[in-house]
Amino acid sequence: MYELRGVTKRYVRGKDAVQALDGIDLTIGDGDRLVVQGPTGGGKSTLLQMLGGLDRPTSGEVVLDGIDLASLSEARLTRVRSEHIGFVFQSFNLIPTLTAQENVETALVPLGVRAAERRARAAEALESVGLGERLTHLPGEMSGGQQQRVAIARALVKRPKVLLADEPTGNLDESTRDEIMDVLERMWKEHGLTFVMVTHDSALARKASRLVTIRQGRITVEENTGA
Amino acid sequence: MFFTCLRRELRRRGKAALVVASGLALGIALVIVVNSVSRGMSRAQDEVLQSLYGLGTDMSVTKAAAPPSKGGQRPRFRFEAKDDGSEDTQSSDLVMTQGFATLPASTVTEVAGQKGVSSAVGGLSLDVVKVSGQFTRGRIRQDGGEQRGGPGGGPGGGPPARIEGGGADFDVNHYTVYGTDVTRPELGPLTSSKITSGRGFRTSETNARVAVADAAYAKEKKLEVGSTVTIKDVTYEVIGIATASSGDAAANLYIPLKQAQTLSGEKDKVTTIYVKATDSQQLDTVKSAIQKNVPGTTVTTSSDLAKTVSGSLSTAAELATGVGTWLSAAVLVAAFLIAGLLTSSAVSRRVREFGTLKALGWTSGRVTRQVVGEAVVNGLAGGALGIALGLAGAYLVTAVGPVLQAQLGGPLGGMGGPVGGAGGPGGGRAVLGGGPGGPGTTSLEVALTAPVSATTIALAVGLAVTGGLIAGAFGGWRAARLRPADALRRVD
Repeated sequence: MYELRGVTKRYVRGKDAVQALDGIDLTIGDGDRLVVQGPTGGGKSTLLQMLGGLDRPTSGEVVLDGIDLASLSEARLTRVRSEHIGFVFQSFNLIPTLTAQENVETALVPLGVRAAERRARAAEALESVGLGERLTHLPGEMSGGQQQRVAIARALVKRPKVLLADEPTGNLDESTRDEIMDVLERMWKEHGLTFVMVTHDSALARKASRLVTIRQGRITVEENTGA
Repeated sequence: MFFTCLRRELRRRGKAALVVASGLALGIALVIVVNSVSRGMSRAQDEVLQSLYGLGTDMSVTKAAAPPSKGGQRPRFRFEAKDDGSEDTQSSDLVMTQGFATLPASTVTEVAGQKGVSSAVGGLSLDVVKVSGQFTRGRIRQDGGEQRGGPGGGPGGGPPARIEGGGADFDVNHYTVYGTDVTRPELGPLTSSKITSGRGFRTSETNARVAVADAAYAKEKKLEVGSTVTIKDVTYEVIGIATASSGDAAANLYIPLKQAQTLSGEKDKVTTIYVKATDSQQLDTVKSAIQKNVPGTTVTTSSDLAKTVSGSLSTAAELATGVGTWLSAAVLVAAFLIAGLLTSSAVSRRVREFGTLKALGWTSGRVTRQVVGEAVVNGLAGGALGIALGLAGAYLVTAVGPVLQAQLGGPLGGMGGPVGGAGGPGGGRAVLGGGPGGPGTTSLEVALTAPVSATTIALAVGLAVTGGLIAGAFGGWRAARLRPADALRRVD
């Protein structure tokens, strides 16, 4: 479970200062599916980075299962990311020189999983997203939708508690978007994940059980009982 | 995964990797060539010194040079002029000790007894000048008759006269003879030559009329084993032909020391004492001890002699150690910097990759190791290429074998020309005069080689790894500093 208490994030660049998050209080329960929406520059991605331990708040606490991520050392924070948090990015962020299988394996490397097991688990994860035939393909040899599936397999191969997706369909056409959302929804259900997704897509937002809208660093939360 | 990422990345950045590797290769190849050429020059210098000293000799002892006395000592040839038309050939051998300075043979024992001296052997270096030919008087022609020139050479008084005919037709043969202590074959100049035909001296041949001829001289004079040579009316049987291992031989002929002493009239005298020290690191101490305890001597160590080397060998050696070293250092530094900057720039282009890997839980250390690993492999590839280039360069230098000239001055450098001038025609008596040349110079030619040692290869490998590590340090430092959020934000 996530608990955010009075989280602020202020970026200072020279004389300019930007308040990306301004006193966020938010609780996300285990297994929740939360969608974050808001205008560009409103602080959506910053909020996601706080949840993922990719960045630290200027003040406040980001507590995951009782551990304040903001107070952890870099090494422990890296460990938390490697064990418990899966990321899916808008631009897929696959390593262009590695095959689909090797890309998925990169998520298991920091966990010290042996090579043979890594390969088997990566193949299984790719199979689960429908890419069992594409193990040896390089990202450049796959479509955008396929690349995003590889990224989803990479995020889930380590069996994380949390899946954080930053505009996962932002670079995809409509039919591929639905495909990917189906995969994500299936994974959320199968793995019992806490799923937080940033999106501009209102159609997707309407499907979420909770909708967080963020403007100028401040949030409003809507419960969607119909979702 | 480390090696998979490494292999794929190097393949992806093929051109940049090639640029880095080529830069390093150039620097390393230069280091190998400069190092090898320097080594070759040092070896050439050693060979030059060995050709004078012989193997195993650490220093030589000669008589301290004294200013030449006026007149008196100049050697002279005297020939009586014959009547015009005479076919008689006159010949004279002049045997002189080189430098005209000798030491008593007892000095050898005295030097051998000095602290730090392992062994000492004396030798006598001789210059032989043989003049042979016809010397005839000129005729004084006066109006209405003719008169032969008198023995005094100058025309007498009387009516105006002119000299016709007469003169000298002679051949001068100059060669060097070294009197060697046949009981101590382990030291002295003959050790730098190898007996390639016949045999060397036996220890029993202390006063035998036998000689060993230098191969080049034997070829010139058509000498072979069993031939005879005559020095000042004494005939010697050639028992062996010796070939100098490098440079020129110390003498044209080698004979037993006693024979040399008899020929030159220098009984129980030597010109040079060859000394081997017990510890080659203590040569200066031994030198000081000899100079202090055996007065009137000059002690020359191999390093003293090395300082007197001049000519193209010396110039080339200075170039190799000076310009060559700096040039290769500059190229290496430039190559290291370029490798570092290119690696750093490659990291900048891979910000998204490293940011993603860090987001996935890769530690900064793991990411840095990946970058450094790639740079080191790149450096090693450059090293291998550099070693291949360097070996090719060194092979080329050895194959071309540029000839370098070494000029040596100092006590062992040789002596001045013994032949002064010849009496002109018309004189009743021809006189050839020669004088001691003092410390002259010897000119030797040696072919340059570029031997590559295992140390040089190890140095090249070390430089390649260092280059890779420096490049890796540039890139690794950048990669380690990347924070995942910053990296991903910069991309988005």
